[in-house]
Amino acid sequence: MITTETTVRQNPTASAYNRFGPLGQSLAPFVLALIVGAVVLTVTGKDALGTYAIIFQQAFLGVTNLADTLLFSTPLILTGVATLVAFRAGVFNVGVEGSLYLGAFMAAWVGFTWTGLPGVVVLPLAFVLAGLVGALWAWVPAALKAYLQVDEVVTTLMLNYVAIFFTSFLVNGPFLAPGTANSMSPAVAPQAEVPRFMQSSQFNWSFVFAIVLTFGGGWMLRRSTLGYAIRMVGDNSRFAAAGGINVARTLIYAMLLSGMVGGFAGAAQILGVNGRFIDNFSPGYGFQGITVALLAAERPLVVIPAAIFFGALTNGGGLVQLFSNIPIDLINVLQGTVMLFATTRLAFKWLKSRPGKE
Amino acid sequence: MFEPAIILTLLSKTLEMGAPILLAAMAGAICRQAGIVNIGLEGMMLAGAFGGVLFSYLAHSAPVGILGAIACALALGALFALFVITLRANEIVSGLGLNLLAVGLAGYILPVLFNVQGAFSPLGLEGLPHWHIPLIESIPVIGTLLSGYDPVVYFSWLSVPLTWFFLYRTVAGTHLRAAGEAEEAARAAGINARGLKWLAILLGVALCALAGAQLSLSQVTLFNKQMTAGRGFIALAAFYFGEARPVPTAIASLIFGFFEALQFRLQAERGISPQLIQMLPYLAVVIALVAVAVRKRVRLNTKARVAQAAAGQEA
Amino acid sequence: MSILLNRLLELRGITKRFPGVLANDHVDLTVEKGEIHALVGENGAGKTTLMRILYGLEQPDEGEIRLGGKRVTIDGPAAAIRLGIGMVHQHFQLVPSMTLLENVVLGAEPSRMGVTDRAAAHKKVQEIAGSLGMTLPWEARVADLSLGPQQRVETLKALYRNASILIFDEPTTVLTAQEADQLFDVLRRLAHDGATIIIITHKLHEVMSISSRITVMRRSKVAGVLETAGSSPQEIAHLMVGEDVGHMERTGRSQPGEDVLSVSNLLALDKRGAPALRGLTLSVRRGEILGVAGVEGNGQYEMVQAIAGLIPVMGGTVKIVGHDATRASTRQRREWGLSLIPGDRNAEGVSKVSTIADNLACTEYYKSPLSQAGVLNEGAMQQRAKTLIERFSVSTPSPYTKVGALSGGNVQKLVVARELASEPQVLIAAYPSRGVDVRSTELIHSKLLELRTDGKGVLLISEDLGELLSICDRIVVLCEGRIAGEVPTEQADIYWLGELMIGGKPATNPPGAVMPTVTTTTTTTTTT
Repeated sequence: MITTETTVRQNPTASAYNRFGPLGQSLAPFVLALIVGAVVLTVTGKDALGTYAIIFQQAFLGVTNLADTLLFSTPLILTGVATLVAFRAGVFNVGVEGSLYLGAFMAAWVGFTWTGLPGVVVLPLAFVLAGLVGALWAWVPAALKAYLQVDEVVTTLMLNYVAIFFTSFLVNGPFLAPGTANSMSPAVAPQAEVPRFMQSSQFNWSFVFAIVLTFGGGWMLRRSTLGYAIRMVGDNSRFAAAGGINVARTLIYAMLLSGMVGGFAGAAQILGVNGRFIDNFSPGYGFQGITVALLAAERPLVVIPAAIFFGALTNGGGLVQLFSNIPIDLINVLQGTVMLFATTRLAFKWLKSRPGKE
Repeated sequence: MFEPAIILTLLSKTLEMGAPILLAAMAGAICRQAGIVNIGLEGMMLAGAFGGVLFSYLAHSAPVGILGAIACALALGALFALFVITLRANEIVSGLGLNLLAVGLAGYILPVLFNVQGAFSPLGLEGLPHWHIPLIESIPVIGTLLSGYDPVVYFSWLSVPLTWFFLYRTVAGTHLRAAGEAEEAARAAGINARGLKWLAILLGVALCALAGAQLSLSQVTLFNKQMTAGRGFIALAAFYFGEARPVPTAIASLIFGFFEALQFRLQAERGISPQLIQMLPYLAVVIALVAVAVRKRVRLNTKARVAQAAAGQEA
Repeated sequence: MSILLNRLLELRGITKRFPGVLANDHVDLTVEKGEIHALVGENGAGKTTLMRILYGLEQPDEGEIRLGGKRVTIDGPAAAIRLGIGMVHQHFQLVPSMTLLENVVLGAEPSRMGVTDRAAAHKKVQEIAGSLGMTLPWEARVADLSLGPQQRVETLKALYRNASILIFDEPTTVLTAQEADQLFDVLRRLAHDGATIIIITHKLHEVMSISSRITVMRRSKVAGVLETAGSSPQEIAHLMVGEDVGHMERTGRSQPGEDVLSVSNLLALDKRGAPALRGLTLSVRRGEILGVAGVEGNGQYEMVQAIAGLIPVMGGTVKIVGHDATRASTRQRREWGLSLIPGDRNAEGVSKVSTIADNLACTEYYKSPLSQAGVLNEGAMQQRAKTLIERFSVSTPSPYTKVGALSGGNVQKLVVARELASEPQVLIAAYPSRGVDVRSTELIHSKLLELRTDGKGVLLISEDLGELLSICDRIVVLCEGRIAGEVPTEQADIYWLGELMIGGKPATNPPGAVMPTVTTTTTTTTTT
């Protein structure tokens, strides 16, 4: 048997990282997107600064507002961490959305099936099973990449839709809630919902879970031997192989972790907010996680502010739509622009003044 | 549901609903041949759908609508090319960003300009005509299959031989393939690789524009920002399935178009889940990619055994 | 003088510097019309750079190019083509999925209104090919052909563009003997028809059989210009390897013990699936440094990769310190006492975007003291980094500096430091002093000698005969994936080595030399 060397893409963020500098890389796309957004607003006769001010106010001022922002950012933190772990191993996983859907359904299923179990049992169980399903889902493209050199970008992208339509089938067919016309599962048992912090907002303990997981992920990458292997494989897989690291196995582990966290993200959203699985419930959390991960690059903790930025936009954007008649789609414009700029290398040529590069 | 009349309608619907997929898949195939994975097909189609409705409404003319569709999509495509080719941004991330940007811009502009939420279907919006071909129209089965579509559907059929001719028979197409497959070799032969990649994206975008316009000016006459509904990704699936070769890609597109027609049909019926049918194209691509990889592996193993035998002979 | 009249191409005083390397040092080359001119020299002698300059792929820092007596500027391949210069690269510049015909005419297609005129293309290509007696399956895809026909396509590409001066960069390395003969027939025919040919090669018998004149390069300079008729292979080998043999650094004779690494009958393929190791057998004993001499590309890379477990072997065995390692993982081999200084340090030796501390931990991070129960001990990693940085005098501001910020010499010291830190029983050092400053080289050599004194084994691969002669106990010559000969360093004759390296058959062997037994019998290879 001949086994060709497993090719690992360079961590897509690494090259940008070197040029922008750590802070520049995370901040520059935001700033540029805000400028583009301001241009769009101004051209269409809106008050850009005023709009941003309203968004800021709605997103951060006041306990309930802040809680809502953090609520919106919770799934993005989780999908951001999920994507980042895979990216760090040099695997371009754009399939977190799929893990999220399957994890979400699994969590809902536990919640509406084992209604007799107490909360302390059913909640952890739902998360564990959701993580497991998400990980298994990610294993498929991971194994195909590691052992058959099948490009992971296309497989993960395609498998997203398989997951979305499959869960859609489940809640339109076998698990359609009795008595509803909409495509949704039965509601989960009350004790299976993630406890909330307050009456005025759906803000719940999932956020804390997400924060803990981010720190845990950061710790894992920095301090554990597995994290070390993941980093080395992502930085230079041939070097890692020569040093004795099993490259194929390492990238499979990274994908399993990525899928697991994606599954958690689905569980958190279903058990923390929706209370049941709803067909097509995600507005693209998995894809937004890609942006978040790109912005964080090699510093996992940056996932948190990046996710909060998008959470704030979503939260504030709603109010802007309500009061100043500015469509919430402005948020998509901003996010799309962030993505376009996130991996651009030459945009800041004039900033690259440091000599001595290769 | 297997009565001949129903099957005939289904096939006719396949050709109609498959047209935008086919056009976008040709776009994707051209880009792929130029070495670019275009994830932005979805957004480019949406830009076409939007531009088509906007300009058809403003000018009360469907042909102007088509031109408007192309203009809007070209603007977006130029942005994509600028980032991916000139600024060397990651093509996957940029493609996904482009899709979001397209949704965002369409969703932003409609309420601001026309004060509409959701679907934009103004009075005076001129849809595409449906061409009834004399003589052929009156032939029983063939008439139903070949007549009564809008011009874009007919063009979508034409786009397959045109794409093939362009890629394999013109100088520009040959250079484009060379630039996509072996950029260094192309450069060594004096070919402007970057320019051709720009060309591939812009050509693709024009095809996507037609695909979008067909959706918003013929299948329905309205625009909403979700109307492409993943067709760009189905097109991606189609050209991956067809390995970016025009004819296999077209066949895959029509098969996927058939699934779509079938799924609409099944919404009325019970029994087979339309969702599972919608899932098939995506699953098919994964399976196809695995098959290609396995075949490659087998070939390599054979080559290795031959080489091994040769080395053994010498030693 | 006829030579003066025929001077077609003159390169005068060409100098080219790359960061840290002087690739061409005032090189002169004169080529006459209609001749086949061989450009000979060891790897890194500057031949390819010179030809890349001539083809416009590099710009010289100094010097001038004269064509037909007129000074010309060649600022790119397009300019070279306009001047009638064509180049057949060592790595073919072909588009695999396209047909032969499409590849020949690519970039210069005859066309009508943007549509390729295939008939015209076919006719013209057929004409050129016919005049050379070539027949090729024009509609076959390049990917489906072996390397011989691919090379003919490359040749035709140049001729199609009306090249009258053709550069061939090591054209026979990828060819079978028969294909090489066919190529030479074509070259003679071309020269006969008035074309001028420059051929870069390592192989002596080719030089002797095909060229009319020879320019030998050594260490970025011209070492001599010869008429082929009237010069001997020995003379060429002398010019090529030079006289400057390094001083002996070894102290005392080695007392070799048992084998720490033994490789027998190893078969392995290169990336393209062509055989690279064809029955390689060698062994390294305790207390000795075994040198591997040879021109790069004769299986060195695959030998290192196969011993380290980074590519699969198709046959034969690898034994490391008594363990059968043929199928073992790289980590297992390292556990048994193998260390590796890879030939391409930037690709395999280090991760440039990672910190020094991370780079130094790569081989041992998974065990104590660098980690316990899956958790890295950052203190221990830092301590280790600091110790090694000091011991190998790596100049860096901190253990957390990224390796990409270090100079080549310092990077190599890091690699050596890491590979010696695990106290190997056997070390493979591939080109350890390549691109490294003198002081770092000395440090590396002294460390290799230290290992030898401590009773460990070292396998040193180098293209620098001086290096091998100064620190090795035995030297083997690797040629075409096999050992072409072996000699104790004391008895080594530099010209004898040089001849073996380029595939020659020396008339006499030095005392103590071990030559491979020539077997024509087939080894048992299954071809299921």
